[in-house]
Amino acid sequence: MLKLEQLTRRFGENTAVSSATLEIPDGQMVGIIGRSGAGKSTLLRLLNRLIDPSDGKIVFGDTDIAQLKGRELRQWRSDCAMIFQQFNLVGRLDVVTNVLTGRLCDMPAWRSLTQIFTPRERAFAIQALDRLGMAHTALQRAETLSGGQQQRVAIARALAQEPKILLADEPIASLDPMNAKIVMDALRDINKQDGITVICNLHTLDTARNYCDRIIGMQDGRIVFDGTPAQLTNQMAREIYGAEADEAFNEAATSTSIPTSDSPAVDTAKAIA
Amino acid sequence: MSDATLPGGTSAPATGGSAVDVFERHRAELQASKRVMNIFVLLVFLVALALSVWVSDFLPERLAEGIPRIFEYFATIVPDLQGDVLFEGRGDDGRAVPGSLTFWYADFWTYVELIWETILMAITATLLGTAVAYALSFPAAQNLAPARWIYWISRRFLEFCRGVPEILLALLFVFMIGIGPLAGILAIAIHSAGALGKLFAEVNENASSRPIEGITAVGGTWFEKMAYAVTPQVLPNFFSYALLRFEINVRASSIIGFVGAGGIGQELNRVISFYSDDRVLAVLILVVLMVTVIDLISERIRLGYIGRENFK
Repeated sequence: MLKLEQLTRRFGENTAVSSATLEIPDGQMVGIIGRSGAGKSTLLRLLNRLIDPSDGKIVFGDTDIAQLKGRELRQWRSDCAMIFQQFNLVGRLDVVTNVLTGRLCDMPAWRSLTQIFTPRERAFAIQALDRLGMAHTALQRAETLSGGQQQRVAIARALAQEPKILLADEPIASLDPMNAKIVMDALRDINKQDGITVICNLHTLDTARNYCDRIIGMQDGRIVFDGTPAQLTNQMAREIYGAEADEAFNEAATSTSIPTSDSPAVDTAKAIA
Repeated sequence: MSDATLPGGTSAPATGGSAVDVFERHRAELQASKRVMNIFVLLVFLVALALSVWVSDFLPERLAEGIPRIFEYFATIVPDLQGDVLFEGRGDDGRAVPGSLTFWYADFWTYVELIWETILMAITATLLGTAVAYALSFPAAQNLAPARWIYWISRRFLEFCRGVPEILLALLFVFMIGIGPLAGILAIAIHSAGALGKLFAEVNENASSRPIEGITAVGGTWFEKMAYAVTPQVLPNFFSYALLRFEINVRASSIIGFVGAGGIGQELNRVISFYSDDRVLAVLILVVLMVTVIDLISERIRLGYIGRENFK
């Protein structure tokens, strides 16, 4: 169970996340929606402490994550894997080393700094890659892969961390619909098969509706909606997205639905155009 | 293009003209302020130039007077080679015939040995300097330094290393550990560490932060972030800079012997101060040859490497 209590982050005058209070039970797949600048990314980065909170608590089990330091903080980051919109792989390292970095937290310093990995660690990394269908690229440099492939490698790296929670910050916003679907399917499989909590920032509504058990809507740093996809009415969604509503509803733009000639998504797009 | 207002363009006559007028006015103001600055900079430059000419007595007639003296000096160090005995070897008594190449280059193998020593000095110094520069380039990069004070200390240390002239360091080390190549190696290594450290740190400052964020998110330590996220990005640049430094160090280590710090410079200094005859030219030719060959090889490696990196 992950609990946020009055979690707040201010950047100077701006309040990016304002008194967020949430309870996320283990094994849920949660989608966070909202327009750009609503605080989705900040909220996710607060959870693994890439950004430090200004106020409030993040409680996982009995520990207050907001107070962790040093070794314990790194251990938490390792337990709370993250994948990014821009993948954040090391382009000039080969794919398998990128995945192996997911094991860094459990390695002694002398081994991690000399890049000596045990056969067991390598096998683990290859299995993670294989699960994403990327084992054949293991010895290529990460930068030679396409965006969709890089994101799958990034997910394999996250899996190598054996995380309890998987955070995904706009994982499909840089991908075409085909790759977006592969990536979202992979996240759902990880959630269902491994029971890992997945918390995912999404820009488009239909993806959130199709994949998530629960949707959280954010607006100007506040949580304005928290419920099942069924409870999220079009009226509510329009309010959450405000001026960006058309873009979010335009499911052909950045979403997992692959447009076909008779799909309603295209009709929506045409209607808006 | 017509002068007519574009359709859809708004004009706001109440507040002093359309968007175009406002833009033109701002542009004129900007240019005027730039012009004042340019004139000022030009004046400062001219004053500084005049001052430096006056201080250094850099006058054309002095230069003209000095030019013949270059040839006078060269006349004293040019060997007196005789065409008919040019390729004569040593006689049965082991003596070379005056006027032959063998006579001119009587100490050839000593020179070769010293040149080899010079190259080894440059290689060792470059390796040592690069290692120190690599280690310090991370704390000396603004975006990577773990704390402000660590950044400050590493920067100042690198500045000190490259601020002290090599020859001065060499003198110091000759006093400390005696005459020989070790003093020269240490002096050049310290200077290289300072110069390369700054360059490396600047390369680090241009490294993409995305992989760093990625390694932070897997729970990596600062050292792991440097090793996995930064190093792979910057390594080609580091390599290229280190090779360039090696070329510079070959030149430096052929001079540093003047203060007794080993290498061919020691011999060059000796022949200049004791004989000032054709032996000076003999050594000089070898030094220039060595530097040129090393430069060519190193440049070839560097360009080849960069090319391979870019087209991978």
